[in-house]
Amino acid sequence: MNGKLILLIMAMMGLTGCADKELKVPLEDVGLLGILAFDYIDEDSYKLSAAMPQFLPEAKENTQIFSVTTDFVSKGIVEIETVSDKKVVLNQLRVVVFNEEFARNGNVQKVIRHLYRNAEVGNKVLVAIVKENGEEILKENYPDKPSINLYLNDLLQPSINTAFMPNTNIHDFVYTQTNPVFDTIVPLLEKKEGKIEIDGVALFKEDNMIKELLPREGLIIQALLGEKNLAPLNLTLDKREEKEELMIDLIKNKVKMKSNKSIESPKLFINMKMEGTLIEYKGYREDELTTLASITKLENDISEQIEKDIKEFLEDLKELKVDPVGLTENFRMHYRGNWDREMTEEIISKLEVDIQVTTRINSTGTLD
Amino acid sequence: MNVDKRKQLNGYHVVFLVQNVMIGTGMLSLPQDLSSMGYSLALYPLLFGVVASLNLWPMIWINSQYKNEDVFGINEKLLGKWIGKSINLFIVLHLTFFIAGIIDDYMNLIQTTALPEQSTTIPILFFLLVAIYIVSGGIKSIARFCIMAFFLTMPLLYFLRWAIEKGDISHLFPIFNFNGSQALEAFRKGYLSILGYELIMVYFPYIANQKKAYKHALIGVWISIVLCFIVTAVSVMYYSEWQLEHVTYSVLHLFKAGELTYIERIDIIGITIWVFLVLTTITGYLWCAKKGIDSFRSKNKASHVYVITIAIYLIVLMPLSKEVKEKLFEVAFHTSYFMLCWPILLIVIHLLRKKQVQT
Repeated sequence: MNGKLILLIMAMMGLTGCADKELKVPLEDVGLLGILAFDYIDEDSYKLSAAMPQFLPEAKENTQIFSVTTDFVSKGIVEIETVSDKKVVLNQLRVVVFNEEFARNGNVQKVIRHLYRNAEVGNKVLVAIVKENGEEILKENYPDKPSINLYLNDLLQPSINTAFMPNTNIHDFVYTQTNPVFDTIVPLLEKKEGKIEIDGVALFKEDNMIKELLPREGLIIQALLGEKNLAPLNLTLDKREEKEELMIDLIKNKVKMKSNKSIESPKLFINMKMEGTLIEYKGYREDELTTLASITKLENDISEQIEKDIKEFLEDLKELKVDPVGLTENFRMHYRGNWDREMTEEIISKLEVDIQVTTRINSTGTLD
Repeated sequence: MNVDKRKQLNGYHVVFLVQNVMIGTGMLSLPQDLSSMGYSLALYPLLFGVVASLNLWPMIWINSQYKNEDVFGINEKLLGKWIGKSINLFIVLHLTFFIAGIIDDYMNLIQTTALPEQSTTIPILFFLLVAIYIVSGGIKSIARFCIMAFFLTMPLLYFLRWAIEKGDISHLFPIFNFNGSQALEAFRKGYLSILGYELIMVYFPYIANQKKAYKHALIGVWISIVLCFIVTAVSVMYYSEWQLEHVTYSVLHLFKAGELTYIERIDIIGITIWVFLVLTTITGYLWCAKKGIDSFRSKNKASHVYVITIAIYLIVLMPLSKEVKEKLFEVAFHTSYFMLCWPILLIVIHLLRKKQVQT
């Protein structure tokens, strides 16, 4: 019985060769889009630019750039195909950029959801906002970089020194947009001569960008989120008459949050423990920092300064009624019933924060 | 037939038969099916486990009264030849459509993810041929295949690592945050995902140690439940409530969170390995449908498998609109509830007729 069956299967396998050939595009005819850029035109339409690596040695440029005006992502892709010599696919998409005008006025979420729905697109596609024009970023000449595809993707990958910016992929974007306790933050890029710079963080409220945050504020958000690898912290202590400036390399960061579970008078206790190495110092204490006692004093001053900075930043958030850190999650997890966006705004506008920072300086280097 | 030759399933076989037939395509969309509960869905599979354990008991009990009969034989004995046979035919029809529904579901998924530019006619054919091959080896070969599938697919759990790292455990709180109608809705949609243990009514006569069958089946059920729980808990941690409701194949997106430097798309690997889980489910049901026809025609013939398979193939390829097809499969899925309640009815009839005989 089994023998007959195996014979049948093998015969049928052989017969599949007689079937009509499925139209498969050979690999060298597939154009893998690496970057999509969206530029705002008006409410209904936008300019879609795409970068596709060109690997033929005969071509002068190693990247092909296409731009079309469209109101639909997939329609734009089809249009790109009409000017491209290859079959355009999204399987290797790495970065999606929007210009600032699009982020402020357009429907970013609709575009991202389209990509999120598409099973061809992986989840690791990074999102970024660019000041002024996205198309120009793709078209700009970067003489010392292999290609814009690689450059932009590598730039947006998290590294210690750019850890102030949120590494936002399309899942994170959809997650923060649809989660009522979060407001989306996305890295903000700016084109400079021959290079791209991460300039800060774009803060969204609901569907649109409302504000540009400084790298420093971005760092506070990352610290409050409990991120382990933080960018070096640059502090200015101005408590005393003389200004002091210092730089700390953070090794450890631990955040504990506890709410009083009250919706009417919300209060949040934040306990933050930071550990790091003092790498540079400029100020009047320069010669004193050799004894443990003086370092302890400095530690306390630093803690106070950080507390002050965080409090100031949270005041700003309160005014804007946005919550990029997800502070309200601490209240949601104790609330029965449906949580919506209005409640988040209500909580954040009434929120009182009690913050306590403990800083520890592990070493000051090998020079006394 | 020689009775001793039929007792071929040992304890491990029973555990994995129950466990692996339960996990099919349902688990892929389980978080979405339960999404009416919001974040509280994480613990819901545990309730399913309790219900399934209670539901399993009457099945085993009625079967242990008729040690050498499967559910089809019991039907005929208790309800008479004609009513019994027509009910058996109905069950076979139900099983056929049920299998077709599962295949259609999985092939839709394959179509949208792995083979977007190809029709699935030929993949379905090969899929069914493999199923026939396994089924023709009898229930023991299915059980062995289940054991193999279990150990081949378990490594997939590792791919959930990144989703756990990224997820937020506070989503699990507050724990019982739902109302009755939400829970009912979730139960109606979600319970179908853990079907499969009811097949023990068909392969019960093949179990060697029938006294311990309940215990072994329970172990199988709870392995599946724990797996379901892991999936729902990780989904709740990783997604927002909106995503839980709208992301169709939640597990697929959980795999997408993976970050291996040398593999870009873990989801494709996960979804293709999933074929083992779907195959075990299909083969389990296919074998039972075959037994149904065997008892209907009172003949034990290998050709019955082919008849059912051809029927399934035709149903899946039927040139009906998608809407009609979906409705058809939904009816088939929902008749499973009839299968779950059937043993209770049988017990009632069994007790009544016993009294009739005694008086």
